[in-house]
Amino acid sequence: MDVLFEISANASQYSDRNAFLINQQAYTYAAFAQVISNIRTEIAKPVYEQQQHIGLVANDDLETYASIIALWLEGKAYVPLSPEAPEDRNLNIIRQASLQTILDSSEPTFQFPCAMIASRQLEQGNIDLLPKEVAAEADAYILFTSGTTGQPKGVPISRGNVSSFMDAFWKIALEITEHDKVLQMFDLTFDLSVMSYLAPLCKGACCFTIPKDKIKYSYIFELMEDHQLTVALMVPSVLHHLRPYFDEINLPEMRYSLFCGEALPLDITEEWSRCLPNATIQNVYGPTEDTIFCTYYTFERNNSNKHLNGVLSIGKAMVNNITVIIDEHNNILDNGQEGQLCLGGAQLTAGYWRNDEKNRESFFDAQYQGKTERFYKTGDLCRSDSEGDILYVGRVDFQVKIQGFRVELTEIEFHAKQFFQKTNLVALAVTDNSGNSEIALAFETSEFDTHELLAYLKSKLPAYMLPKKFVFVQPFPLNVNGKTDRNKISKLIS
Amino acid sequence: MITKEQIILDLQEIFCEVFELDTIAIDSNTSALDIDEWDSLTHIHLVVSVEKKYNIRFNSAEIQTWENVGKMVDSILLKLS
Repeated sequence: MDVLFEISANASQYSDRNAFLINQQAYTYAAFAQVISNIRTEIAKPVYEQQQHIGLVANDDLETYASIIALWLEGKAYVPLSPEAPEDRNLNIIRQASLQTILDSSEPTFQFPCAMIASRQLEQGNIDLLPKEVAAEADAYILFTSGTTGQPKGVPISRGNVSSFMDAFWKIALEITEHDKVLQMFDLTFDLSVMSYLAPLCKGACCFTIPKDKIKYSYIFELMEDHQLTVALMVPSVLHHLRPYFDEINLPEMRYSLFCGEALPLDITEEWSRCLPNATIQNVYGPTEDTIFCTYYTFERNNSNKHLNGVLSIGKAMVNNITVIIDEHNNILDNGQEGQLCLGGAQLTAGYWRNDEKNRESFFDAQYQGKTERFYKTGDLCRSDSEGDILYVGRVDFQVKIQGFRVELTEIEFHAKQFFQKTNLVALAVTDNSGNSEIALAFETSEFDTHELLAYLKSKLPAYMLPKKFVFVQPFPLNVNGKTDRNKISKLIS
Repeated sequence: MITKEQIILDLQEIFCEVFELDTIAIDSNTSALDIDEWDSLTHIHLVVSVEKKYNIRFNSAEIQTWENVGKMVDSILLKLS
């Protein structure tokens, strides 16, 4: 992986420069190289030789980031486990991925049914950042995302996928140098984190992270102001939260502001652009299955921007990526026609982790420009304009975005139904006062105390999937097909 | 067609940059033993600088053969031909 060579070279070239600012503590490239080497020495031991996938407790510290690089240097992949997620969910991931070993910088380490390596307590080793040779198909990481059947599904992304992404990224991105200061706001279980930490490490720049116990959007703004950050990839939710303060926000040092993970409204982008007079703003799009993001649209100041229903265009495919729009029979449609957006190319995952059924549902082959190409069905309804820029119309299913995280409403319904058997209920996404999406649960019953249900859901689902509103609607309105009319229930709530 | 001598001159420049030295004298036999600053970390820095200079790519196996400047030059010549 060329990326590893670049990082190692930077550890030498920029050894005195800061690689990370974590919780107000700065760490140089030299310090980073030492911690990486310590962890690398440990996992290079023969006992771990057969283990390709190692768990990683996704803490916010130097050891956690060093673990990622150490694993890659040894030709292994990381499977991040969020320390805030319910134990059940992490145990599920450990089981699915057959993890035997987990790297954990927590003190004391978590108790999981695996060999726990306390990454803060390793011996000082010799510096060794020479990467082991490994095939492009070898996994770089496996991320687990919301599944419709109640089980999270694993998306393995290979070293080749990540390399392709970085190549494509440098072609659409501004030149990043060792003087840049890059925000990393994402949990390591979210693939947007990968671009956020790799981009600075590849250029000798500094990566600024967010402590777990802070209110994200507020801390992000403080970092931008206090440290004059220059590059930031964020979810649009951050803008919704910061909007009341836009008048006070002036960040002339920001050079590059990217958005991903949710629909980006045109109006709020225009307002935000006035807070960053010198920045290039881009809307980027892509599911975890297609490595971080794969299309991009550059916002134009002083010019009209492409949008549909107030949502900014997601633009065109990045290099080595293919986008097509299909009908219900997997036929590729022409520009202008509306259908499901499908993605192909070098960033595409080889397939879900041990899930042939899901692979059959989500991937298909089609003829494209004279070749047979493999495509992934995103579930996003889109159309492209005459210039090939893609406009987002809606979803084909019950997937929503909460703070940029992918949430299958049916996953929430599954767990709620486990608790309340034989009750008709639906999970919905509704908009709160700030303009952010949140989850509501509607029951076809009379009102009841939801405390126990919420406690149960807390033991099964990550925080962002928990319902914020409970409503009771008797009876549920039905649509013309006799099915529960979710739209009507949504309207009743708002 | 680039010569060994030219490559050695280029390497001299790269070595100065990577090791932060004003001047350096190298020949085919120069190895990490002769230069204090040449360790595993600066080794990779050297690799990346050479890759950028000649617009070529090395893999880990190739880099491990670089025991001295002479071997580096041979490796580079092979890639460029």
